[in-house]
Amino acid sequence: MTNANPIISIRNVHKFYGQVPALKNISMDINQGEKVVIIGPSGSGKSTLLRSINRLEKVDLGSIIVDGQDVLAPKANINAIRQELGMVFQSFNLFPHMTVLENIILAPTKLKNVPKAEAVEHAMQLLAKVDITDKAMVYPVQLSGGQQQRVAIARALAMNPKIMLFDEPTSALDPETTGEVLDVMVTLAKEGMTMVVVTHEMGFAREVADRIAFMDHGELLEEGTPSHFFNNPEHPRLQRFLEQIL
Amino acid sequence: MSQPEHPPRIEISDGASIPDPWDKRLINAWSISLVGAVSLLTYLCVRYPDVYGKILSLLPEGIIVTFKVTIYSFAATVPIGVLVGIGRLSRNRFINLIASTYVETIRGIPLLVQLFYIFFSLNQLLHVPDFLAAIIALSFCYGAYMGEVFRAGINAINKGQTEAARSLGFTRFQTMRYIILPQAWRTILPPIGNECIAMLKDTSLLSVVAITDVFRIAREYASVSYQYFETYTVIALVYLIITLILSKCVSVMEARLSHYDKR
Ligand SMILES: Nc1ncnc2c1ncn2[C@@H]1O[C@H](COP(=O)(O)OP(=O)(O)O)[C@@H](O)[C@H]1O
Ligand SMILES: [Mg+2]
Repeated sequence: MTNANPIISIRNVHKFYGQVPALKNISMDINQGEKVVIIGPSGSGKSTLLRSINRLEKVDLGSIIVDGQDVLAPKANINAIRQELGMVFQSFNLFPHMTVLENIILAPTKLKNVPKAEAVEHAMQLLAKVDITDKAMVYPVQLSGGQQQRVAIARALAMNPKIMLFDEPTSALDPETTGEVLDVMVTLAKEGMTMVVVTHEMGFAREVADRIAFMDHGELLEEGTPSHFFNNPEHPRLQRFLEQIL
Repeated sequence: MSQPEHPPRIEISDGASIPDPWDKRLINAWSISLVGAVSLLTYLCVRYPDVYGKILSLLPEGIIVTFKVTIYSFAATVPIGVLVGIGRLSRNRFINLIASTYVETIRGIPLLVQLFYIFFSLNQLLHVPDFLAAIIALSFCYGAYMGEVFRAGINAINKGQTEAARSLGFTRFQTMRYIILPQAWRTILPPIGNECIAMLKDTSLLSVVAITDVFRIAREYASVSYQYFETYTVIALVYLIITLILSKCVSVMEARLSHYDKR
C-alpha cells in the first residue's frame, strides 16, 4: 500500500477532546491521484481525521506530512499548505454576502494575486464543470442545496489544490440532488484529482475509491479495495456496519 | 435554504426601537409617534408663536452641535468597538483580559459619572479643549458598549464561515476582514444604529459641563424666561422627532444590507 512518496502521510496520530480520545493511533498514506473513501458510524472520528489533515483540528500526537510539508510544525506556513488542500463541507459554507462568482474568485484574487479578469475566466470554466454557469450572479441563498455544494466544490477548485477533502458532501442533500454532486465528484476523480472523501454513499465508494478505510471509535479498523470491502469484510464491526448501511 | 427569513436582531442598548423594515403597515408605533410629535410641535408653534415658536427658533444652532458631537464620537467609537469586540473574542489571554477589563470597568460606572470623570481629567489635568474632551469621554464610554455589540455580531456568524475561509488559506485577519465583518455588519447594524441614537441622546449629559448643545440652550433659556414647562416640552419633542427619524434611517439601511438573504 505504501509508496515511496505519498502526498499525504499520517503517522501515529492521536487526538483527544479533553479526556475523550477522538483519534487513536491512526496511520495512513495517500498517494498522488489516489481516491480514498473513509466510512464509519457517526462519532467515529472521520471528520476529525479529515480536518486534521489541513489542521482545522490540531492533533495531540503523531505527524502529518502533506506534499512534503509538516502540517504540525510550529513554523509551518499553514495558510500556504491549506491552499493545496481544497475542502468541501457537509453544510456547504458558501459566503452568503457574495454572489456565486465572488465566492469563487475571492481566494485566488486575494491570496494568489490572480488578476480579476483571469480569475473570472477560470471561475466560469469551473462553473461549467459543475454545470451551473447560469447562476454566476446570484446569491447562495437563491440556490438549492445541490447547487450550493457544486459551487462550494468550484470555489475550492479555484485555488488549484493538489488534494480535495470532502466531509460528507451529500449528507445534507435530498436524494435527488445528491446525484448531481456525486456526478461532479466522479468527474473530478476521473481527471486524476487526489481525493479523500468521508461519505455514506456506498455506490460512490464502490465506483470511485481506490481504497476504503473503515473507522470506529477513533480507530482505523480496516483498509482495502472496494472489492475486498464489499465481498470479504474481515472485522466484525465492519461487517455489522455494512449490514446496516447496505 | 438554511437561513432565517429575517436576520436575527441583537437588542442591547436603550437607544431607540428600530422599526421593523419588513413592516409595511402605514399605522404602527413609529408612524403614530412621529405624526403625533410633529403635529403637536407644529400646533404649539402656530398657536403660540411668541412662546413655543420662539423657543424652537433658538434651537437649530444647538441641534447642529448635538449632531457634530454625536458624529465625531460615533466615528471614534466604531473602530474602538471593532477592536474591543475582536479583543474580547481573542484567544490571546493578554489581549482578551485588556478588552474584558475595559468593558467591565466601563459598564460598572454610571455614564454621567464616567463622562464627568474623563472630561474633567482631560480638561483640567491635560488641558484638552472642551469640545475634544467631550468627544473623547463619550467615545471612550460608548466604545465598551459598541465592543459588546461587535462581539455579539461576530459570534453570531456561523463557525462554518470561518472554517471555509481558513481552509481556503485565508489568515485569521483576512477571514475577519473579508468574510466575518462584512456579514456581521448586517446583524450589527440595528444595534449600532441604536448605540448611535443612544449617544445622541446622551450628548445632553455633556451639556452640563462642556458643550453648548440643544439642551444647554434650552436650559439657559428656561432659566431666564421661567418658561420651564414650555421649553422642556419643545426640547422633548425635538429629541423625539430626531430619534424617530434616525431610527427609520437605520431600519432602511438594515433592509438594504440584507438584500442577499432575500429570495
Ligand atoms: N469540538 C469538539 N469537542 C468535543 N468533542 C468533539 C468535538 N468534535 C468532535 N468531538 C467528538 O469526537 C468524536 C469524533 O467526532 P467526529 O470526528 O465528528 O466523528 P464523525 O465525523 O465520524 O461523525 C465524537 O465522539 C465527537 O463527539
Ligand atoms: Mg463527521
